Amino acid sequence: MKNEKKKSDDEIRRLVIARLSALSADSMKSIGGEGVFTREQQIKHVEEGDEIGQTIEKIHMEWLEAQKEGIINKLYE
Amino acid sequence: MSDIIITRPEHDHATRYLSRWSEEIKKEAKKKNLDIVDLHKSKAVRKEFEGRIIKTKPRLVILNGHGSDTSVSGHDNEILVKVGENEEILKNRITYAISCKSAKKLGATCADRKTTYIGYDEDFVFNIKPKFLQKPLKDKRAAQFLKASNQVSISLIKGCTAKEASDKSKIFFKDALKKLLPSVKTDPEAREDVEDLFWDMNHQVCLGREDATM
Repeated sequence: MKNEKKKSDDEIRRLVIARLSALSADSMKSIGGEGVFTREQQIKHVEEGDEIGQTIEKIHMEWLEAQKEGIINKLYE
Repeated sequence: MSDIIITRPEHDHATRYLSRWSEEIKKEAKKKNLDIVDLHKSKAVRKEFEGRIIKTKPRLVILNGHGSDTSVSGHDNEILVKVGENEEILKNRITYAISCKSAKKLGATCADRKTTYIGYDEDFVFNIKPKFLQKPLKDKRAAQFLKASNQVSISLIKGCTAKEASDKSKIFFKDALKKLLPSVKTDPEAREDVEDLFWDMNHQVCLGREDATM
């Protein structure tokens, strides 16, 4: 069970990093009180799995989960 | 007496964006002849903030700045209001805090049948085009987020209830997101903006007295 969770966490991490890598190099994001981060900095935080990286992952996954649940149709209702 | 107190620290990129985009709110308040106390830059400190609230008893407090789940900060991240220290100064009025996660505990602690706290229960995020770092008002990417956020304050100024104001803000987030949806497959930045707009929209909460008005 523990191994499966780790595998799942690793998969999510890889997915998020792949999505971040597609952004333009000068893309910047302000995340709460943590600061403003370039694409490379975001990738580093996700790789490290720290609090900022976890927030970035949560943002990506929340949208992906919502898509699975049909958010796009709901937005146009 | 004042109608509104707004804090506008400006000590880093994020606070500079929030501060400059808040000028839109000030213009709206002026149109309605509302008195607004502007705690800008080094005035956004605790002593000034507490003193002005006690003296002027504003109906609406707008907090720009960084935060945590228990506090909101001002200039140079000096804490302005914190659970267990001085959260009572937000009682019996409406607060809108664009300060990450503060709705989680600070907002939840303050909010009651006479007090409204509109804020975010997670980090507030927005994307920036680096070439506009010194000219935030020209940044159309950030504009999507900050115009939607501003709708809370602007709607309150126009007479909406707290719940209506939060709902109007969410409509702005939703509309910005819908405009980008056709591009998400071909434009990674559009996709990123959609995710972040969705996040902010979902994590904006209106706690306490929902029918409060200015």
